[in-house]
Amino acid sequence: MATAISVNGVSMEYKTPKGTTHVLDNVSYEVQDGHFVSIVGPSGVGKTTLLRLLTGLARPTAGEILVRGKKISSSPDDLAVVLQDYTRSLMPWLNVEKNIALPLKNQNLSKAERKERIKASLAEVGLEGAESKYPWQLSGGMQQRVSIARALAVRPSILVMDEPFASVDAQTRFDLEDLVLKVRDDFGITTLMVTHDIDEAVYLSDEIVVLHGKPAKVRDVVKVDIPFPRSQMETRNDQRFAELRTQVYGMVRGLE
Amino acid sequence: MRLLNSRIIRFIVGIWLPILLIWWWWTWSADSVDPFFPPLSAIWEQFKFNWIWQYVPIHVVPSLRNLFAGYFIGIFAGVTLGALLGASPRVSRYFEPVIDFLRSIPPVATVPVFILFFGLDAQMRIAAVAVAACFPTLLSTMQGFRATDPTLLDTGKVFRLTPFQMMWKVRVPNASPIIWSGLQVSLQIAFVVTIASEILGSGFGIGAFTTISIDSFMILDAWTGVVLLGLLGFALNIIFDLVERWSLRWYIGQKKLAS
Repeated sequence: MATAISVNGVSMEYKTPKGTTHVLDNVSYEVQDGHFVSIVGPSGVGKTTLLRLLTGLARPTAGEILVRGKKISSSPDDLAVVLQDYTRSLMPWLNVEKNIALPLKNQNLSKAERKERIKASLAEVGLEGAESKYPWQLSGGMQQRVSIARALAVRPSILVMDEPFASVDAQTRFDLEDLVLKVRDDFGITTLMVTHDIDEAVYLSDEIVVLHGKPAKVRDVVKVDIPFPRSQMETRNDQRFAELRTQVYGMVRGLE
Repeated sequence: MRLLNSRIIRFIVGIWLPILLIWWWWTWSADSVDPFFPPLSAIWEQFKFNWIWQYVPIHVVPSLRNLFAGYFIGIFAGVTLGALLGASPRVSRYFEPVIDFLRSIPPVATVPVFILFFGLDAQMRIAAVAVAACFPTLLSTMQGFRATDPTLLDTGKVFRLTPFQMMWKVRVPNASPIIWSGLQVSLQIAFVVTIASEILGSGFGIGAFTTISIDSFMILDAWTGVVLLGLLGFALNIIFDLVERWSLRWYIGQKKLAS
């Protein structure tokens, strides 16, 4: 299996007036093609910093990040992002269709192809016919679906998500988790998710990367050996699910 | 409550006071023999004679041309400069004292300076209007750009938007509610400066007409000029409001939902 993303010895320091803050220390990890990988860790550990590096929004002070073997210097073509705060990541002055169309404008698509892509992406997330709605006319869960549709419309091979379900209610959260699994199955997308929710990480992932310490290092990588397809009812009652979540929880808390 | 909010009710509530005031002016001035305060009925007759449509080509057209030419040049410059300065706080710090100084000069007072540069041509008037109209828009654009949400910019970056798209599809619309308030102030100032610039050395324009009428004791004509200016300013504001509401319908809708 090919490697989608490799993080090689990445360190990150911020210079502040008070001195240097060392956030990440020699973090290395490889994400295999088609895998679902979650990054967990205690809050403030540097998960979001790592995500900013992966998406090309910031550059590491040391080390390098390769996407499909190419070192990234800005946001890679092949990668799409879903951010936590949908209210600030969807443009309120554009309707759903235009929000999804915006990143598509730079891909060489005809108008008809673009329309088709938008339709297909909305159908994938279960929002058929919402084209002319404004984001703020939709519920939180529906807005996050639009974010996911926008990401899918660019047909990325890698999907990166930053706490994508942190701002929606519990029921919607389950629905969106299953949606993300369906998307992975439908497109074979490599998915990388930052989350603070350990249950969610176990439920969704092939592998969980645990960050710990100050500066943060990769504490451990946990393989989630629960077979797919998974279901909210059964998987979460599985003996193995309980064991894994206990194990990951211990690592995040630094108990193990 | 719903009844009060309906458009018709609001229109009726809004219209009764103007009607009352006009009626009061009309009856109060009806028997006036004071040459400086002629009866409103006489003003109205003269108004129809002057402005429907005899003097429109030589006075109204030049005024509106100077107003719109100056206004659009001014706000274009204001949005462009404001965007450049607002997007880079470090650069704007160098320019801020100069901008603060220039905008503190009452715009009407700058007209004689423009006469020095441009003479008494229409270019002088347009330039004076443009410079006066520029500042409110410039300042509001700077302010709007500074308030850009970093998440929005990150979103643009990760979706690899071009700098042009970043500017016109993300930053400008995001700042537009604040920019529009500057555009409105710019319009009001542009109107004032348009008329004021005609007071000096011009035979054409509503401002020139009104001044010349007063200077030659044509008081009735002067009154019609004043009434016309009031109506024009009012109409401009209404049109502006309609365009603004249309352009900001997303913002208004969003706020309505939130409240």
